[in-house]
Amino acid sequence: MKISLTWLQRYIDLPESPKELAACLTLLGFEVDDIQTTGVPQLENVLVGEVLERVQHPDADKLGVCRVALGTEVGEKSIVCGASNYKVGDRVPVALPGATLPGGFKIKRSKLRGVESDGMMCSGKEIGAGEDAAGLLILDGSPEIGTPINKILTESDTVFNLEVTPNRPDCLSHIGIARELAAWYRREVKYPSLDDLPSIESRLSGDDVFQGAKVECEEDCPLYRATVIKGVKIGPSPPWMQELLSSIGLRPINNVVDVTNFVLHESGNPLHAFDARDINGKKITVRNAAEGESMTTLDGEERKLASRMVVISDEKRALAIAGVMGGQNSEVKEDTTDLVLEVAYFNPTTIRWVSKNLALSTDSSYRFERGVDPKSLRFATDRAVQLILETAGGVVCGPESVAGSEPVSQNEIKLSPDWVRAKAGFDIPDAQIQENLELLDMVVSPGDDGADWTVSIPSYRGDLDRPIDLLEEVLRIYGTDKIPSGAVRATATGANDHPITEFARQSGAYLVGQHFSETVTYTLRSESEQNDWSEDVAAMQLGLKNPISEDQTQLRHSLIPGMLESLRLNQSRKTGATRFFETGRVFREVNGKLIEMLSVAFLECSQGGARSWKERGNDDFYLAKKRTEILAGFAGVDIGRFGINPIEGGDTAWQEGHAALIDDPRAGILVEIGLMNLERIKTLDILGEIVAGSFCILPERLRDAKRVKFQGFSLFPPSSKDLALVVDKNELASNVVRSVSKIATKATKNAFALEALDVFDVYEGEGVASDKKSIGVSMRFRSLERTLKDKEVNQAFEAIQSEIKAKTNYEIRD
Amino acid sequence: MEEELKQIVESAKSGVNGVSNRAGFEAFKAEITGPNGSLTKVMKGMGKVAKEDRPIFGKLINQAKQQVQAVYDEAMSVIEAAEIAEKLGPAIDPSLPSPDSGPGSFHPLTQVREEICRIFKQIGFTVAEGTEVETEYYCFDALNTPKDHPARDLQDTFYMPDDADFANVSKKSDERYLLRTHTSSVQIRTMLKEKPPLRIISPGRCFRRDTVDATHSANFHQVEGLYVDKNVTVRDLKAILDYFFEQLLGKGTTTRFRPHFFPYTEPSFEVDFSSKHLAKLGSDWVEIAGCGMVEPEVFSSVGYDPEVYSGFAFGMGIERIAMIIYGIDDIRYFYQNDRRFLNQFA
Repeated sequence: MKISLTWLQRYIDLPESPKELAACLTLLGFEVDDIQTTGVPQLENVLVGEVLERVQHPDADKLGVCRVALGTEVGEKSIVCGASNYKVGDRVPVALPGATLPGGFKIKRSKLRGVESDGMMCSGKEIGAGEDAAGLLILDGSPEIGTPINKILTESDTVFNLEVTPNRPDCLSHIGIARELAAWYRREVKYPSLDDLPSIESRLSGDDVFQGAKVECEEDCPLYRATVIKGVKIGPSPPWMQELLSSIGLRPINNVVDVTNFVLHESGNPLHAFDARDINGKKITVRNAAEGESMTTLDGEERKLASRMVVISDEKRALAIAGVMGGQNSEVKEDTTDLVLEVAYFNPTTIRWVSKNLALSTDSSYRFERGVDPKSLRFATDRAVQLILETAGGVVCGPESVAGSEPVSQNEIKLSPDWVRAKAGFDIPDAQIQENLELLDMVVSPGDDGADWTVSIPSYRGDLDRPIDLLEEVLRIYGTDKIPSGAVRATATGANDHPITEFARQSGAYLVGQHFSETVTYTLRSESEQNDWSEDVAAMQLGLKNPISEDQTQLRHSLIPGMLESLRLNQSRKTGATRFFETGRVFREVNGKLIEMLSVAFLECSQGGARSWKERGNDDFYLAKKRTEILAGFAGVDIGRFGINPIEGGDTAWQEGHAALIDDPRAGILVEIGLMNLERIKTLDILGEIVAGSFCILPERLRDAKRVKFQGFSLFPPSSKDLALVVDKNELASNVVRSVSKIATKATKNAFALEALDVFDVYEGEGVASDKKSIGVSMRFRSLERTLKDKEVNQAFEAIQSEIKAKTNYEIRD
Repeated sequence: MEEELKQIVESAKSGVNGVSNRAGFEAFKAEITGPNGSLTKVMKGMGKVAKEDRPIFGKLINQAKQQVQAVYDEAMSVIEAAEIAEKLGPAIDPSLPSPDSGPGSFHPLTQVREEICRIFKQIGFTVAEGTEVETEYYCFDALNTPKDHPARDLQDTFYMPDDADFANVSKKSDERYLLRTHTSSVQIRTMLKEKPPLRIISPGRCFRRDTVDATHSANFHQVEGLYVDKNVTVRDLKAILDYFFEQLLGKGTTTRFRPHFFPYTEPSFEVDFSSKHLAKLGSDWVEIAGCGMVEPEVFSSVGYDPEVYSGFAFGMGIERIAMIIYGIDDIRYFYQNDRRFLNQFA
């Protein structure tokens, strides 16, 4: 909200500098976004000049060549000028060569269409004195020729752009801010005097032009006042009012409209003036809009209304959208003579809804939706009447039409100063607490003998309801910058950080140790990126209801696409990056329900790194698998216990035959590992081959590491036996290991133990049928009690072999 | 005889020079002590030697065998040394750079988050986590945000479609799912689960429907803190934040409170800091956090008695703190992950 210092000074004495005031407003809770000084800045070589003579430019119809007097020191100059609003004898600002005008425009001697020009005659806008750029600024009052322009145009203003928090609608006006500053500086607020208004009883009847207002929707409009003013003359408002309105960015329109705007920004009360001629039936009804009703607002827009909206209407049609904007059909025009002035209190919730649904926010709606003080309507009406009579003439008529009534209750809060000190945690004397509240126009009645105080709250402070609200007020005036620090109290014991935090820390530490750089990428991804991943993922309902842009419509299902995007950026910038990881949340759909999962993923790209004198191999599937196993381990998951399957089909983000998947929704985990689809990587404009791994888990499945229970181990030597098995080419090694382990465990049962079974060789080629492969497994046996004898091991080995022959379709290779 | 043995030894000594590997060594050995080797032949001739000459003869053969064995041992050690040398390859040039990639690095946002967590850990705050998808109740209602508060608008907050259904994000009733706009929702869920006293911080990713520019991002990161106990005061809040910012930004860092408004705290403040350690900022006050005493309505909504308990909450943006302490001028750097950016924090 814009607050003009000049305007503010009408209500409070403020000798402080703008900077000091800004600091004070900040500490009162009104953040100052910026401070702007308007008016004529300090200008060198800009003087008052008098036009002595004007002749037509020989080669340009619109240019005149003027002889200008600039005083004894400078003498006369010849200046070419394009304006047409001046006459010989006018005094105007003249910028001489060497002057720099606002905006950095430097004045030089120059030729205009062949005629020498020795300076420039200026418009108001050109020297920063207002917005008028249409013609030269004609200086009133014949200032002395040759006077520096800053001696004539001394008016300047400072405008603060303040942030007013939503709980303080009472401060959306100059008087509101003046009240706050008055409390801070312990000064008086000088409210405008309304003594010169004709008394209600003395007013003549305005029945002939207006006969009253009624409210049909009392909940939306608890209070409505309409006042008739007859015989106004529409014209421009006085310069002081125009200047004040302009300073806060409002365009002066005419005296009556300017008064309504002025009062809005003076006291915070929105009001509206109707041309009485346009009120059919001479009566106003405040009612809900009819379904399908529409009207054209002052901005020329045709607005379709909904039945929850409230309109000000006559017997035929809507004249205004209540609390938001007036209608074109009843606006004040040049020939308006009789006015009906509306000052009302509309329900904040209603106005917020209307404003939102019409996508129309105005100075009025902004204030109504935050809450206008219903008790201020009387003052606002009188003030507007006073200013209209002053600036547009006319007579105010009676009787005043009032629908609804002011709330009568006086808000009071019980407060104990001991309680204030207990909440603050430091000492503030009773007297200071009382004074701080009183400075904010509260009436404090201390109780007898330590009883609670009774604090009466001014009607405009609708935000104050409870003692805790008053604590904030006491602290504000005390100065929140003076709240003392103290010792850190530690009354609650610490605990372990959340398992999600610990998992991310462990995963990150491991991958950083493996030379991966952590990325942070956006959660929101594009639909096409999601669709490109796989058919399954494309079918997931991960879209937002209200995305902000096309490339951020979906929740990410994996961390990998974001990392690929970063990789592409690094490749195009030739930064040498090849290894990334990320931890974060991903989202998926399983069995028709969405889930949020915790994920860690990493990738390595074979290209883009720095060249080196020595080649290092790139990551392969099995290294990525190992890394993923380790990461899963941090989550308490042994992924060796889950079935892992090759990813099939060429239409996924993974390369068929070189990537694998563990998808176990019941356990809440999803693992993807392997080579990224070469074709797709290419279409992403990424060079090289990418091996990636991704581990996702439902956060609620994270387990703290279990306390280890020690297991005794054998001190006797092991005995090993190797077997080569010919199996189907597409048989998974894990199946072979599982079957053989089972058989071997059974064969050695009770006597000794199969300690380990490792795959030590995988072979395809000569000596093995083309649809088969050979898997070599090594079994290690050991006993807890003794050194194993060859005989018992051989016996077991034979039993294992015959069992394999009998129970599996594996062929034992000699 | 004696002459013959001498010659065998001599020829072994001279012949060994031609031996350079294990195969050659084995062939060389076979020529002397193999089944048909020269020394073996001499030894086979023992039977023909007169009985009385045998001791001398035996002694000579043993001498020859020992001498040949010494030649073998010497040859073997030369071969082994050559093998090791070959295996090791040429000597290293210690000045060559390592061909391995690296270094790995934590993202600056992670580093700042961890630093914040570490500092708060010192004063008893535990990290709590929650989901990024939240419901309107936990993100707004329970935090005393009015039903028609603009923060709830479709303009400002990302919502999931009305029929979206999350299996692992619980709802209060049938309110909408959204992407959390702050991590205060974690505080609500933690308070619903646990009894005071409570000290938690909740770092995490949040979302606001902002267009991306130098200072805005649709997702960003926050840390919020919550302290609930009996008799918690405004001064305690100031003490904790003073401690934190001095730890984070260096000794002599000071903070000041400015009145502000949040629906979930009363009174509410914005926090400015001033630190001589950040030369760029000079001695100006810089806005850094929001805080306040927990609004009694919030306690009521989680079943804490506001007459018994009081507490404070605070929150700050991790990006903003990272930008201030590292002097980063554009938030987008955090999300581009240019290696030249990331490596500066390795």
